[in-house]
Formats: sequence, structure tokens, C-alpha cells
Amino acid sequence: MNVKRITEILTLAVFLPVIFGFAIGFLLLPDREFSEQENRSLRTLPEFTLEKLASGRFAEEINDYFADQFPLRDPLVGIKGLAEIAMGKGENDGVLLGRDGYLAKRRFAMRCRDGRILPDIDAFDEEHVRDAARAIKRVSDGTELPFSIFLTGRTLDVAASKFSYPSAYSDALLSLLREELGDVEGYIDSVPLYREKTEAGEEVYYRTDHHWTTLGAYYAYGEILRSFGMEEEILPASAFERVTVSDAFYGTSWSAGGMKFVSPDTIELWLLGDEDRYEVTADGRTLEGFYSYRYLEEKDQYSLFLDGTHDVVTVKRRDGVERPTLVLFKDSFANSVAPFLARHFDLVLLNLSSVRTDYTNITAYCEEYGADYVLLIYTLENVVTTNKMNGLR
Amino acid sequence: MVFSSLLFLFAYLPITLLCYYAVPRKWRNLVLFAVSLLFYGWGEPVYILLMMLSITSAYFFGFFIERYRTSAPKKAKWMMILSVAVSLALLFFFKYYNFFAENLSRLPLIEIPGIEALKLPIGISFYTFQIISYTVDLYRRDCELQRNYITFGTYVTLFPQLIAGPIVRYRDVDEQLRERKESVSDFAAGVARLTVGLCKKILVGDLLAAGSEYFRHLAVLENTALGAWMTIILYTLHLYYDFSGYSDMAIGLGRMLGFRFPENFNYPYIAKSITEFWRRWHISLSTWFREYVYIPLGGNRRGSARQYLNLAVVWLLTGFWHGASWNFVLWGIYFLVILIIEKAFLLKVLDKTPAALRHIYAMLLVTLGFLIFSYPDLTTAKDCFLSLFGVGCVGATSAVATYEVLRILPLILLAAIGATPIPKKLFAALREKWKPAELFVPLLTAAGLLLCVAYLVDSTFSPFAYLNF
Repeated sequence: MNVKRITEILTLAVFLPVIFGFAIGFLLLPDREFSEQENRSLRTLPEFTLEKLASGRFAEEINDYFADQFPLRDPLVGIKGLAEIAMGKGENDGVLLGRDGYLAKRRFAMRCRDGRILPDIDAFDEEHVRDAARAIKRVSDGTELPFSIFLTGRTLDVAASKFSYPSAYSDALLSLLREELGDVEGYIDSVPLYREKTEAGEEVYYRTDHHWTTLGAYYAYGEILRSFGMEEEILPASAFERVTVSDAFYGTSWSAGGMKFVSPDTIELWLLGDEDRYEVTADGRTLEGFYSYRYLEEKDQYSLFLDGTHDVVTVKRRDGVERPTLVLFKDSFANSVAPFLARHFDLVLLNLSSVRTDYTNITAYCEEYGADYVLLIYTLENVVTTNKMNGLR
Repeated sequence: MVFSSLLFLFAYLPITLLCYYAVPRKWRNLVLFAVSLLFYGWGEPVYILLMMLSITSAYFFGFFIERYRTSAPKKAKWMMILSVAVSLALLFFFKYYNFFAENLSRLPLIEIPGIEALKLPIGISFYTFQIISYTVDLYRRDCELQRNYITFGTYVTLFPQLIAGPIVRYRDVDEQLRERKESVSDFAAGVARLTVGLCKKILVGDLLAAGSEYFRHLAVLENTALGAWMTIILYTLHLYYDFSGYSDMAIGLGRMLGFRFPENFNYPYIAKSITEFWRRWHISLSTWFREYVYIPLGGNRRGSARQYLNLAVVWLLTGFWHGASWNFVLWGIYFLVILIIEKAFLLKVLDKTPAALRHIYAMLLVTLGFLIFSYPDLTTAKDCFLSLFGVGCVGATSAVATYEVLRILPLILLAAIGATPIPKKLFAALREKWKPAELFVPLLTAAGLLLCVAYLVDSTFSPFAYLNF
């Protein structure tokens, strides 16, 4: 046999097993409902209807189904991530790969003032953000209560020094907010602090997740108490015992980025030993405490803090000692700060991102829960991509 | 269905190959006809009837043309015209009705309602042209009557080239339809070609398209000259990889089934004039227009005034063929003007110009042409054009635009080199010196397939750009 013939036969020997192999694998392997690695539901077999077939929607759904249930999906996604990085692109699926294993989502759906949403854009709509800031200012001006505003940065904002991606848009967003909110009492311009800490080598945000670490949450706690004029009461970092509860936390950026070679994060808890003094309820149900350890068995380990997503979470002392009530209008960043704040306040956390209840009427909810202090903790990502802030009243 | 989908590669293709090679030769056209209808009906279940109507009409007219061909040439001619008219009428209605309704309604006293539910049937521009080629070839006695409905149906619907070409003339495959020999050699060559096409489309074309799209969006927020150049350069490269990749897949799939389709691209981006570019780009379309429009109109045999008029007709039609929108008409006129200027004197001047300059000249005009091509809205096209020179820009570049360019520079360079014959020549030279280099073919096929699958698994669905024409 000459080389040409061998080549031909080898080509078939490569091709046929690949297409028939994957086809048979697809048929035989059971469908998965959920991808742990990607932290999302997978498409299962779509229901067939004649209308869907005629409109072409069935074909689309079958395509998604095929991609989601494809054999060896996870390693294949990893291969693609590697290939993109090998091409020198520095990112995959809109997630940047930075120094020291930092990952940051770069592109977001951009919400415009006129309601349009542009997908996959790094920038923000100035009008939209200005409007959001003004709504926050109006609420702040309208209340007699101590009101602090903590807009948390995205990894992109706080860990800018870890990425070769320019910080131009980040800087523009921060100075826009400063311009609108700088003179508002209670506005905490927090990003510079976190940038500084990151540059100094402290891990204030997870490398693979969009949230802050417990260290980052501790800094936030300090800033919040300072803004309420309670600087003397801040518990020193040395008072806490730091316990590492996970060294295999693969966060949201890790899931979205498909760069499987990036090492996982560790999760630390800062304990005082008084944790069982507090009663924590979520949507009416009593939790085991600040931390729901069962989430450590799952992919989404950040949900350890206050049991993940709930509409209403309250924290009180079990012994009945009443303290001033702090009402937090918040997203998930607040969950890891809450244990710190709980040492000073009775807490009511209202989830601004809730799909069931709209908590944007700050004035009304402060009254309902008898607030003595009010705190807004919301991430810049959500400021840019949603209109929740714009509707505050 | 498109080739670059998991569904095609890992469900449709294995089933098709199994059925095709499991049945005896005489049944194979029937298998192809059936699976091709499935292929088409998958994304376009309703318009399958339209395609069948077009096929059936041409099939029956064929008998009349054949009958009158010798006895009553006039009648045969009328039959031919009627048959072509039916095909064109369907094409016209489904592709252009709304365009004409909208534009004629702008004139005073005319009010033609548009039909909102009318959407473009996939591939209609391609299969209509194939059907017409049969009718005309038959009338001109360039081919014999096809009495077998299955065989004729197979010619039109053959899934490799059904929805985006190459536009195969009937007489080029007449014999293959009746009798073809499949072989291991052809199958292996087809596999390699299919893989090349998949890689061009998935690993390069789609990524270039995403880059172009990104700069296009960026321009809304932060318009820069660099961004405008990148938008059109990436789009130009993308179009080649997307479309020639598709042709490679079509030719490869055809070969796996024992067909030889004509080539559709011949490194168009190494052209040194627009005349040369059009001999290298979408060859099957240019050939079709030459055979069935330009030459019947008299070509260049009736004096230069008539020749320019004929060229004008061809290029208006070529532009319009690409889409029912003014920018495509303008695109056709744009090339018409350049081609006439080249024919009149510029080619002679170019001959004395250094090759590098000629190349820059040609690619600049091609790229600017695709600028018109890519913006259905002429105002946006104008803005993009002005942005190339910094008009209406915030600056020559911005931090993010620069970052983005540097990031995809390796891809752009790879794509630019890949659009020339250099890689092919290098491989041929290597093979010449060292025979076992041939064994890289299965190795590269395996690697290419694996990468393509990885990208398909982790991507949102991306249809072909040329699917819309």
C-alpha cells in the first residue's frame, strides 16, 4: 500500500468513528438536567408541536438540546477555552483571564435609558446610569433616617490592575457616580479602597467569582459603620477566628469562562464564637445560622452565606435583646456582610433582585419594618444592566 | 439545517451516509432526494411546497421543450420562456414583493400593501437559478430531457449545494446524476474538504464575524476610525471564510457521495484588480450570469456601447440577487462602474504598476464594496464610510478599541495568510520532499474536527451569512 492509500484509509478511520461515535454516545447517554460546572440548567428534549415545527422554533430548540446534552460536553468546553487562550485572545466567552488566576466578566447586557438592551457590551449608557444615581439621591434626600449607599464594584472595577484590559469604562462609570452622588451624605465611594487592597496583594474579591471574599466583606462592614458614625464600634480583624471552609470554590466567572485550567478559590469564614446567639430566618423559615454548610457540597458555594437567595431575611438576637433595626435593600453581596453587621443591628434584608416582590419602594418598606438605619448594597453590574435603581422611591 | 451544527454532523450526516451506502446504486438518488427534502424542511417546513412547485413546473415544461425543440422551435422557445417565467415569478414574489410594494408606494397615487407574513424562503435564489439552468440548457440542446422526476428532484434539492451553492449547472452534473462511482479515495478527499470548510467557518469565520459585530456595536458608544476600519476589514475576511467555507463543505459532502461540483472560490483576496477579483469570487454565480444573461444579451459581440449596457444589466441583477434592498443595488452599480473603468483604461495602467500597489488597490475597493454590502441602511453605511477618515469620531482610536484589536491580531494574521495559497503551497512542497507528510492529513482532520466540535458545543448557533440571499 502506498502512502496515499494509507492516508485515505486513516482519514476514514478518523472521521467515521468520530461522527458515529458521538452520535451513538448522544443516543445512549442519559440527559443531564443541570450542569454543575457551568452552574446552569441544560436544555432537555423539547416538546414537539406542529406549530413549533412550522415556525422553525422546534429546530432551534433541538439545536440547543444537542449542544447541551452532547457527549463529553464539559471537556469539549474546556478545549475551546484553551484554544481561545492559546490564540492569544486573553479571554473566552466574554470572561477575561488576568494575572494570578483572576477571572472577570467583561461584557454585560447594556441597558439604555430608552429601554433598549444591547447585549455583550463593555460600556454603559450614561443617561441610564445618571438617572439611576438621581433616583438614589432622591430617596436619600427624602429620608430622615441614616442612609448609606454602597455600590459594589465588579471584579473588572476592583481588580483592574490584574487585567491588561483598559480600565477606561470602569473609571468613567466611577467618576460619573461620583459626580452625581459625591455630595450625598452616606454615599460610600468604595471602589478605590478595593483597588488599593487588590494592588497590595490582598484577595478582597474571589478570583473566580463576581462576589467579594469575606475579607472584602469585612472591609465593607468597616466602611458602613464609619458612614453611620459608629467608627468606635468596629470590631478589629484580630477579634475573629478565620476558618477556611472550602478550597474548591469554582465561582460564576469560572463557570461562564470555560477556562478550566484556572484553580479554584478558597472560602473563609470569620467567626467570633457567638454565632449561635443569633436567629436567622429566610422567607419565614428559621435557618441553621448565618451559614448553610450544605452548600459546600454543591457548586454554588457562595450560597453558604445566609442560605443564598431569599426575598426577606431577618437576623435577631435569640435572647430577645433589641437593637436598632437596619433595613438592607440589597443583592447577594450583602449576604456575606450581614454576619458582621448582625453584631450591631437587628437586620432585615430585602432582595432587590427578587422576581416575586418588588422592594424598590424604600420609603414604604422602611416604615413597614421600623427601620432605624437604611443601607443600600447593590452591585455596579446590576446598576448598568437593570433598571431597579432607576425605580427607587 | 446548516452544516456547521451538531445536529447536522452527528445526526443527519451519519443517518444519510448509512442509508445512502446501504442501498443499491439505483436507489441512491431516491435516498438523496428524500434526505434532501428533510434537510430543507427542517428549517423551512412550509416552503418545501414552494420548492416542489418550482421543481414540478420545470420538470413538466421540460417535456414540452423537448417535444417542440426540433419540430417547432418557436413553440419550444415560448415553453422555455414560460418555464423560466414561472420560476422567476416565484422568486420575485417571495423575495422582492415587499421591496417593490414599499418603494412603489412612495410614488404619488400608488398604494401597494406589503405582506408582513412573507419571509424569504431559504436558498430560493440558489435553487431557482439551478432550475433555470436546466430549462435553458435543455432548450439550447446542451443537455437531454430528464424523464425521471426523482433524478430531476435530486438535482435541484441535493442538500450539499441546496441552500448556498455552488450553483451547479445542470449539464455539469447531468451524467453524474445518472451514473456515478463512489470510491474510498473520493470519500476521503471529501472528508478532508468538509473538515477544511468546517474549520474555515467555525474556527475562523464566526470569530471574525463576532469581532466585526463587536466593533459595529462599539461605534454606537465610541466611534473611532480604527474601529470603523476593523468593522469592515473583519467583515470582509469573515465573508470569505464563511462563504468559501460553505462551498468547501458542499464540495466535500458532494464528493463523499460521489459528485464533483465546480469550484466556487479561487483565492479572491489575492486579486490585483476588480476584474480579477470577480473571476475568483463566487465563480458559480458569475458563470451563471455570464451564461444565462450576458451572453444571450449579445455579450461583447455587438459593439462596446451594447457591451456596457449588457454589463449594466448583469451587475444590477447581481446586486439585486444578493438581496431586496437598495444597498445591494448600489453594491452592484459600484462594481459595474469600477469594472467599466478597468475595461476602458485602468487595467492597462495597472499592468505597469507594482504588484503590491495593485493588490492594495483591489483589496481597498473590495473592502469598501463590502461596506456597502454589510449595511442595509445607507445612512449608517455613509457614517461608517466617513468614520474611516475620522469624520464623526471621538478619535483615531480608544483604549478599548486598541485592546480589542491587539487581542484578535493573531486571528486576523492567521486569517489573512489562510486566504492566500501560501499554506497549500507549503504543504505541497513539504509533501514533495518528504512523502510521509501526507499522513498529516488524517491527523489534521482529527484535530480540526475535534476543535470544531468544541467550538460548536460552546457557542450559540450561528447560521451562514449567505443563507439570506
